[in-house]
Amino acid sequence: MATGRPRAVVLALAAASAIAVLSASAISDVYTEAQRPPQTFLTHTGAVITTTGEVLDPVYQVSEVEFDPDEYLRNFEYGSISEDSKTGQTVREYVIVAEDDRVQEVAPGVFYNVWTFNGTVPGPTIRATEGDLVRITFVNNGTKPHTMHFHGIHPAIMDGVFEPVGGGGGQFTYEFEAGPVGVHPYHCHIMPLEEHIIHGLYGVFIVDPKEGRAPADEMVMVLNGFDTDFDAENNFYAANTVPFYYQHHPIQIERDRLIRVYVVNMVEFDPINNFHLHGNLFYYYPTGTDRSTSFYTDMITMSQTERGIMEFTYEHTGKFLFHAHKVEFSEKGWVGVFLVKDPGPGDDGDYGGDSSVDNGDDNGDDNGDGYAATGGYSGAAGGSTRDVTGPAAAYDGREAPDGA
Amino acid sequence: MTDGRRPMAHERGRGLSGRGSSGAGRFRVVASGAAPLALVAILVIYVSGPGSTMLEVGVPLPEVTIERVDFVGSEILATVRNTGPIPVSIAVADVNDRIHPAAVEPDAHLERYETAVVRIPFDWNVAEPYTIGITTDDGTRFEREVESAAPALSPSGELVAFFAVIGTYVGVIPVLIGLLWLPFIRRMGRQVYVFFLAVTVGLLFFLALDSVEEAVDVSQENLAGSFNGLMLLATSVVVSFLGLFYAGERLSGSRGPGDGGRAGEGDGRTGSGNGASPRLAGPMAIALMISIGIGLHNFGEGLAIGAAVGLGSVAFSSFLIVGFAIHNVTEGVAIAAPLSRERVAVWKLAGLGVLAGAPAIFGGWVGGFAYSPIASVVFLGVGAGAIFQVMVVLVRWIGRGGSPANGSNGRGASGGSGLSGAPFAAGIVVGMLIMYVTSILV
Repeated sequence: MATGRPRAVVLALAAASAIAVLSASAISDVYTEAQRPPQTFLTHTGAVITTTGEVLDPVYQVSEVEFDPDEYLRNFEYGSISEDSKTGQTVREYVIVAEDDRVQEVAPGVFYNVWTFNGTVPGPTIRATEGDLVRITFVNNGTKPHTMHFHGIHPAIMDGVFEPVGGGGGQFTYEFEAGPVGVHPYHCHIMPLEEHIIHGLYGVFIVDPKEGRAPADEMVMVLNGFDTDFDAENNFYAANTVPFYYQHHPIQIERDRLIRVYVVNMVEFDPINNFHLHGNLFYYYPTGTDRSTSFYTDMITMSQTERGIMEFTYEHTGKFLFHAHKVEFSEKGWVGVFLVKDPGPGDDGDYGGDSSVDNGDDNGDDNGDGYAATGGYSGAAGGSTRDVTGPAAAYDGREAPDGA
Repeated sequence: MTDGRRPMAHERGRGLSGRGSSGAGRFRVVASGAAPLALVAILVIYVSGPGSTMLEVGVPLPEVTIERVDFVGSEILATVRNTGPIPVSIAVADVNDRIHPAAVEPDAHLERYETAVVRIPFDWNVAEPYTIGITTDDGTRFEREVESAAPALSPSGELVAFFAVIGTYVGVIPVLIGLLWLPFIRRMGRQVYVFFLAVTVGLLFFLALDSVEEAVDVSQENLAGSFNGLMLLATSVVVSFLGLFYAGERLSGSRGPGDGGRAGEGDGRTGSGNGASPRLAGPMAIALMISIGIGLHNFGEGLAIGAAVGLGSVAFSSFLIVGFAIHNVTEGVAIAAPLSRERVAVWKLAGLGVLAGAPAIFGGWVGGFAYSPIASVVFLGVGAGAIFQVMVVLVRWIGRGGSPANGSNGRGASGGSGLSGAPFAAGIVVGMLIMYVTSILV
């Protein structure tokens, strides 16, 4: 009995300390690392952050370069070319391999299981001239059935809908005459269709007119998005897959030079997408099928797989934004910058000038050499190789000028 | 588990005292206690240790909880915690589902239960709702909604004073005012006295349920599932109830239900109550316990008020303060009722009032400046347990007749003044009704 009171006190103390420990551990945050000295960063939106931690911003997050939007932008695959001895028809042969097990960094720090044609999203830009025979050896190395369905004119059996190609090495040869003239998407057409498209099984198919088009600096932009958490809403949008990429790696073009953009909208879930160009208007050729147009605008709206050709020339130098004017999309990555520069030999930037622009039938299967040095989307690499002046430098440098 | 262990410990104790000096016996006891623990450790290591692939079935999904959002200057600060089963990296921050550059401190990689602060430069507007989103490296997005942005509070002297004033208005002053009913209750007959005690029980019951409800709300809104908020609450309530019950029994020297021996007025049986101070026993002890219980409750209430102001989810109007104040006057009655047959020094009475009311001030400070949902749940649970304990004491007190003169003659004898009498039932009903009606004002 003499122990009664101390025991009560001990018990009460124990309870109190248990409660104290519980709540103290809850109140104090758990940090595992010592703090670094604060550094100042200028982010891609212009916001300045001073922090002892890490920065979440495409400019500063070093990513594994698995897809290089700079390379994709001006890369056209003309195939391996031969001539049919009997008909004299040009034959373009391609090998396209589908896979569905890759995990790719679709936005800096965000990893997503992409399904790919030839390892990239979008797949290669297949380019032929009207009337050419296109022969595609399609190999499905994935785990699911896949196909290639081209928008265009072709026999039913070549439509890539009712002939699923099994995974694990299944093959099918698509063969058709290129046409009509214009820009078209191709994509997998296995059900559930949306799933196969949003994972990345799509690409661009360009059919040039026989007489060619006016010489221009040509580029491809696939407007796409990624629903990384599978809630039927896109988490990221982009022109050419990587969000915000062209904003901090501006597309370098020359003043007074004709620019031709083959633009294809592959965004799912959202009924529309659009394209707005700053400081300029462009001629727009819907689907690229007409040779003349009455569209002279700075704003086009596109539904799923709608596409066309934009042609414009800048008469002023400097930085010009292009982006979705559905601003939600641009604030989730579908935004970029054209950096218009004076033409001339004095330009020591990595943009290769006139020589690097392919225009149709010269059999150049890769004009990427001029752009390969861009070093992907690591800001430091971009900044060191570019001739960027003024505020633009901040987009590429690792640190703001007033950095600590 | 607990049920299994208790008798074991009990037996061990007996065994020890029985064979006191036997070293081998002692070792055997320790070993028999430790062996199952060792086996559990081996099991854990075998199943989850390095090199074990046995249970790698299914895909563990990441989970990040945004525990709080602060609006500071032209920045939004989101405190995030990895509440999932696997480590994650934070990749993207967004405001209203629009991606914004941000900084993560100390770094973007979060081990289980590790926290980080995501700082998003953003010119937010006062009183507008915002949804803050965090996307992890696998592309999963987690979000938290803030109903109305308000500048985050920092512990400036002005704010400390602000919470002190609010705490005084809603806690200290109303309780003290309630105590002023003491002379009134004192003049009433015994039936009325029992009625007022029962009113107190009703008030306390309402307060306890109120605490529990509040804690459930907090755990559902702010606690990640992995923290098991409801069970944390249940555990807090039970630990607090039993801890205070045990301590109370010891301190007041009471030997449990059915024993009429209150230590109060030098009754012969008090002797069995060992060294408990007579001052701590009887009505004063009960009033003290009520004060402590209500104090814990008010601390939880202060936490809620502070957090609400700090998180911007409440516009703190004078109307609301009035509501809380009226509501809390009843708490003074609860303390006063058991004392109405005693002569109590005014300073002691005031001390009880402050003990019950002042924690609202501290709660406000903690809630406003260092809000933690876990701490809130724990404190609210402890408060509820404390109040339940006081209720038990009060009910037993009433059962004995509610008066020292009545001695051990309880169980509703003597004209319905006990638990089966009309005053008891009516009192509880009236107490709860009073609380309900005044709670509408809040």
